[in-house]
Amino acid sequence: MLRFRPMFPSAARATLRSGPGTATPLRLLRQAIDEVVSRRRLIRYLVQADMKKRGSDTLLGNLWWIFDPLLQMLVYVVFITIIAQRSQPDYPLFIFASILPFKWYQSVVTDSTMSVVRQSSLIRQIAFPKIVLPIATATAEVVGFVWGFIPLLGLMLFYADRITIFLLWVPVIAVVQYVFSVASAIFVAAANVFFRDLGNIVTHLMRLWWFLSPGLYSIDNLNSVALFKEHHVLLDIARLNPLATLFEAYRGVIYGAADGKGPPHMPDLGSLAGLLVASIVLTALAAIFFKRLEPSFAKVL
Amino acid sequence: MTVPGFQGPWAGSSDHAILAQDIGVQYDLRFSRKKPVRESMASVILRKPPERFWALRHLSVRLSQGESLGVIGPNGAGKSTMLQVLAGILQPSEGRLEVRGAVSGLLTLGAGFDEELSGRENILLGGAFLGLEDRVTRSLMPGIIEFADIGQFIDTPLKTYSSGMRARLGFSIATAVDPDILLLDEVLATGDATFREKSKGRVIELVRSAKAVVLVTHDMNWVEEYCNRALLLEKGEVIMEGAPSEVVALHLERTAQAKAEREAAARAAGLGEAALAPRAR
Repeated sequence: MLRFRPMFPSAARATLRSGPGTATPLRLLRQAIDEVVSRRRLIRYLVQADMKKRGSDTLLGNLWWIFDPLLQMLVYVVFITIIAQRSQPDYPLFIFASILPFKWYQSVVTDSTMSVVRQSSLIRQIAFPKIVLPIATATAEVVGFVWGFIPLLGLMLFYADRITIFLLWVPVIAVVQYVFSVASAIFVAAANVFFRDLGNIVTHLMRLWWFLSPGLYSIDNLNSVALFKEHHVLLDIARLNPLATLFEAYRGVIYGAADGKGPPHMPDLGSLAGLLVASIVLTALAAIFFKRLEPSFAKVL
Repeated sequence: MTVPGFQGPWAGSSDHAILAQDIGVQYDLRFSRKKPVRESMASVILRKPPERFWALRHLSVRLSQGESLGVIGPNGAGKSTMLQVLAGILQPSEGRLEVRGAVSGLLTLGAGFDEELSGRENILLGGAFLGLEDRVTRSLMPGIIEFADIGQFIDTPLKTYSSGMRARLGFSIATAVDPDILLLDEVLATGDATFREKSKGRVIELVRSAKAVVLVTHDMNWVEEYCNRALLLEKGEVIMEGAPSEVVALHLERTAQAKAEREAAARAAGLGEAALAPRAR
């Protein structure tokens, strides 16, 4: 028989576990960061496992990452231009620039909702930092977004005059979106353990959020809506929507001026930086919320 | 090492692997999944008093290096809860617990990690879940595969495995990490007879190589033969702790007693029916 040497990095370190902890929020946050850093390999494996699963169970496999946003775009193009009879130059590209990031955000939120609950049997058997689960889910979804570049570039061949150097800003905007989506993922994953109805609510909430965000329209279009003319504060609120900031930024670098008459331009770096800072703060708050609830997971699941 | 504020007969001792004093694990049944969420919400909104349930209470154990503790008791006695606390999966609601050294975390050995991944990938993922460094898991890999003895299935997805193969793989992973403190829950009942013998040999070896072992089992022979101490739990409380033969004897006695009482009750009910039957005819 093979002999193995002790190999836990933490071997021979005494651990003291006593009753309900009185850890301060700051300590919880530091714990969360330590856990993510020390378990980055676990996150990587979970991401790989997730990707492997996706491709394997459908006939067209990963090709769905290409078709999905295109088909969704087609539905909206038919609806908006034929039925609602709105005219916007190069409209397919206009909405594709927001469908792509929204699909990403939506799948992060809906998949993360189940990320902890799905591993209930493992959580009752092994002590491991549960925070890696929503982070791995959110990270795995990046792959779907990157696949979306293929249909995006394909579509842009039809609007070749809109291809500019500003496209290189897309990854920068995506980083901001990633941080924001991680915050959302951590929050919904923990909340769903105690409130399982969240899964049902989230689907509808996401749909509502999509229509309330300037994806199919631009935020300037709201100026002509009566309700917004009367109450200017609503317009300010609409601008605070994180998805509005992201959509406007993506559209600016992919499509161009919202009225369709200007070429792609620099994103509004000020509002992107603001969103990045807000997202980092939100991620910290979500991690504290998660760590606060984590000790009860094994009891409730 | 002394624990601040720790008082009791064992304070200041240094060779223990596990030191538990008056551990209790409490569940609030309002939030249990065994209840519909509607009821939980209602009881919170209506400010009903919490329904507390102690799955384990007043547990005090001291386990030294090289000791092997057998935990026995009827179903629902809190045996698994005890292991979950020692593994760090559950936090005790009261009491103090000191665990010195690396604890093996895998309690139910039939479990896989991911159905879609191959056995080999599951070993890597399992190692990552257990907190091993990747290069360590990779170096353990040949040993794990050899011991699990699942042939070419090692490269096929876990979903194609039989339950015996899963159990063997799980056992191999859990015991390969060679922890300072090994926690085992009913492992001896997994796999076929051949593997049971093999796994028994492995556990004996781990016990002998000066590791602390806590083993939950229904196999009384095992407890008497290989454990140097035993603990009898019933309804979350320690009934007796001591020499395996004495604890097992007490357990068998109490089990027989409980069985006799049940049979007496059943007989009384049966007699009642029998007495009524002729009249009904």
